[in-house]
Amino acid sequence: MRGLGAILIILTSFFFTGIVFRTKSIFSGRKGPGIFQPVKDIWRLFQKGNVYSETTSFIFRIAPNIYFASVVIALMLIPFGGQKGIFSFTGDFVFFAYILAVGKFFNIIGALDTGSSFEGMGASREALYSLLAEPAFFILMGSLALLTGYTSFYDIFTSIHFGSSISYAIGALASFVFVLIAMIENSRMPVDDPATHLELTMMHEVMILDNSGFDLGLIFYATHLKFAIYGAIIANLFLTPGKEWFYSIPIFIAVQILFAIVVGTIESFMARFRMSHNPQFIFALTSISLLIFLTVLLIVGKFL
Amino acid sequence: MINILLITFAISLIYIGIANRLSTVINILAVQGIILFGVSFIELIQINTINLIFILFETIVFKTIAIPIFLNNVIKKNNIVREAEPFIPDFASVVIITGILLGSIIISNIIDVGHVRKMFFIVAISALFTGLFIIISRKKVVTHIMGYLVIENGVFILSLSAGSTMPMLVNTGITLDIFVSVLVLGIFVNRIGNTFEEMNVDNLTNLKD
Repeated sequence: MRGLGAILIILTSFFFTGIVFRTKSIFSGRKGPGIFQPVKDIWRLFQKGNVYSETTSFIFRIAPNIYFASVVIALMLIPFGGQKGIFSFTGDFVFFAYILAVGKFFNIIGALDTGSSFEGMGASREALYSLLAEPAFFILMGSLALLTGYTSFYDIFTSIHFGSSISYAIGALASFVFVLIAMIENSRMPVDDPATHLELTMMHEVMILDNSGFDLGLIFYATHLKFAIYGAIIANLFLTPGKEWFYSIPIFIAVQILFAIVVGTIESFMARFRMSHNPQFIFALTSISLLIFLTVLLIVGKFL
Repeated sequence: MINILLITFAISLIYIGIANRLSTVINILAVQGIILFGVSFIELIQINTINLIFILFETIVFKTIAIPIFLNNVIKKNNIVREAEPFIPDFASVVIITGILLGSIIISNIIDVGHVRKMFFIVAISALFTGLFIIISRKKVVTHIMGYLVIENGVFILSLSAGSTMPMLVNTGITLDIFVSVLVLGIFVNRIGNTFEEMNVDNLTNLKD
């Protein structure tokens, strides 16, 4: 049953973005598309052929595939409740972060390969923001590793247990940081607006302007998968290993739906930040992770 | 529970660094007052009733209600622009405040703080230095008052860490200090507002003998 987590993440990815869009449409008083509309769009894109610019090289052609493959590999590392992920080894959260970074790197050089000045600008912004979000993720996972004494996703999530009130505080703060990291990594509202139609203000969207058809579908579906992956990490904080699968699966689905609704609500009520306000917002996440680290030090009694 | 409140206080210090509107900073100060109320209520529940009521009065009525209303009035009366206008970019502010937090953790581990508890000491020291940093990095006089109030909150936490042995005198001193400073600076702000059009510290450089 090692693949249960991966199967559930793939299932979640079918309706996750749909729920985000539905929440946004309800808040703005529209009827809105159905929950499965984003997946239908991707299916439509999968049936189309690709159009390649003459200035691009083979990098542009392989970039979307590598991006998608990296996300799929990252997906296989996520444990589910008491079950390990398909791969599980010591230090796999470092592998998780850098396999996603490899995908992002290929996305960036694919954008640079087109020679468009707009895409280079978007790529530069995307690189900057993921650079700033990386320490937040590592300090957070490092604190969890220090708290439990293990360095793989499975061991961390099985041996984490909430006993005192301060560990609930850590859980809440960690969920908060993970939600915002997911928003940054997927280029959603507070840092980037996916619905904007001006090249100068786009980040992720401008990078994929030249992709079309099947490649575009792959990139979109990878984004949905990434959202579901981060949702699964957050859900793992609340899945205690002793529980049976018929408790774990509803908790997992409930956390994912709640996460989607939270994302939709944030997108409905927050305007996109000005470009110059983004770095400090993302760096504040690192500061909060440092506070979590401090709290963990306090609990284990190592330093304080 | 106290630790959670103190960590929330530390997060509010980081938030001051990225707050770019004056009203946000005022709201943070009000929230800090509520946090201090929680900390002092849990910490000082054993001491006698009059002293307890006095401290609760100081945190809730004074720090949470009176000062924010007063600052809002000053801002409205003097038509102060609502942006905070720092000298340095906000990103640098957040980095420096994070550095202050880390530095205070390291300092509290190097020196022996005696019977003061370390968590209180860390948060108090970082509040002190954050307040100082806000004073030196922001242009407006109102923001200087806000930085001063953050320092006051830090001193309050430091005095709380001594526990129920804290004499009434320290409390009275803190309250009087806040009263005098806010009133004097308020008058100061109003006077500058009457004399100069904009209330930046830059205007003081024009003063001559």
